[in-house]
Amino acid sequence: MTDTEVKKILDIDEDEKLLPLVLEILPGHAAEGLIGIYEPGSYEGKSLRKLCDRTLNKKNLSIEEQLIVEDITRQLEGGKLLSRGQEIEGTALEYAVSEQTEAGEKYLYVPIRAIKPQEGGWDWGVN
Amino acid sequence: MKQLLDSDLELVVESDFIYMPLLFDPEIEKEIQILESEKPLGSPGKPESKSIIAFEGKHFVKALNLHSFINNYEAIDAHSYHRFRNECLRKYRLTREVDGHFLDETLRTILFRIMPYFIKKNKVFNRKKVSDEGILDLIGEKIDIPGKYYIEAITFGDLNALKEILKELENQKPLFQMPENGLHSGPKLRDWLRKAIHAKVLADEQHRIIKSLQIREQFRQAKPEHIAVLLYLADAGAMEIDGFGFTRNNAVKGEYLIYKRTGDYILKDYYARSYLFPDCRIAVSTYTPYRPFVIEKYKHPFLLGHKAGQEICMKNFVPSNEFTAENVIRTLEEGLTAMRYGYNGRQRNGYHSLDEMWVHIPTTTFEDYRI
Repeated sequence: MTDTEVKKILDIDEDEKLLPLVLEILPGHAAEGLIGIYEPGSYEGKSLRKLCDRTLNKKNLSIEEQLIVEDITRQLEGGKLLSRGQEIEGTALEYAVSEQTEAGEKYLYVPIRAIKPQEGGWDWGVN
Repeated sequence: MKQLLDSDLELVVESDFIYMPLLFDPEIEKEIQILESEKPLGSPGKPESKSIIAFEGKHFVKALNLHSFINNYEAIDAHSYHRFRNECLRKYRLTREVDGHFLDETLRTILFRIMPYFIKKNKVFNRKKVSDEGILDLIGEKIDIPGKYYIEAITFGDLNALKEILKELENQKPLFQMPENGLHSGPKLRDWLRKAIHAKVLADEQHRIIKSLQIREQFRQAKPEHIAVLLYLADAGAMEIDGFGFTRNNAVKGEYLIYKRTGDYILKDYYARSYLFPDCRIAVSTYTPYRPFVIEKYKHPFLLGHKAGQEICMKNFVPSNEFTAENVIRTLEEGLTAMRYGYNGRQRNGYHSLDEMWVHIPTTTFEDYRI
């Protein structure tokens, strides 16, 4: 699965919608981000943005997680949350893909990047 | 000078200076006579050195200082110096420059401070800091390291072997003796030069061996697998994991290019049509200017042309003037973000627009990327 896909991801089966949801908010182009895990029944019907806010406001973070949140916060100063190359809107299921742990436990995964814009080049003034 | 040393000419060594034979010429003869009438020539062996000396009825002119010649030989004749140096290192089995890389702070910064940001380190969902040893384990898992490095790692840990070489060097170190005053043939001086360069190299390398022993003492507790990874990196000078990589810059000693791949990505034009851009490597060097650029031949609205090594056109970006892990990460991120997310189809920001504008300047076109 690449970020190049324009259409939102809807390739999960009906029964997979009962899986736990793993949300990962990655600062910039980092390989690892802050993880939020939501049990079935706790995330359906909630917007992805709301779940992101909840993940970012988690308490009792480890030092590593606190550093990741600092990075995310820095990126979000004028930046935005993107998933699959698009600004997030709608529900988590619209962006989720089914994955499984090494132990074979299935879950739904949504990667979200906090990206601070870098508008390279210059503005031609044509709109 | 090299031609003179290769010739059959006889040269005079006097007070650590080489004197070259003065060509017979009536004009020179006259000048010598004037000099001789003004100031009598000293005889060879006197401490004060003259510009022109007479020896066995021939005149010789002062050419160069031997100490200076040896000390600057690398600059004077790099090819010949390196030939002598390699000859000497091979003789004493010191050809590999592994130890230097073990203390290479730039490489350590890349491996243990920059790379962890861009690669997946944790197999589970908890986020914890990975130690330097953990990073080396990860490299060992993800990179196919040839078996010979594991064998060499065991040798590396054997300090006795190196101590033996050091002892051998101390005993066999050729003495750096200046040639005696008097006439010397070119080949004889060349032979002396070779010995002098060997002595210089050994003196330099002896220091390195002592240092090398200290380094290896530091790594004595390290696992052989970790040593094998470092030996491999010292040799290869390049590595890539999860789209993050680095490559040693052979043109500038001790410097690297650090890069992160963009992966394929899509940009949209003014009419929301999609263009699929191929993967490329966004890089920053470990020496100034610390500006992000694309390694490959590539085209993009933020690149002026369609060629390799182009700097990315950035807005409000001031490159740092210091090499730190933090600065490299930020610079790579700025470059990646600009390329993947910076182009705005509505604003057509950049050197080029994806779609052809009403006043179209035929520069770079992107029609072949349209999907």
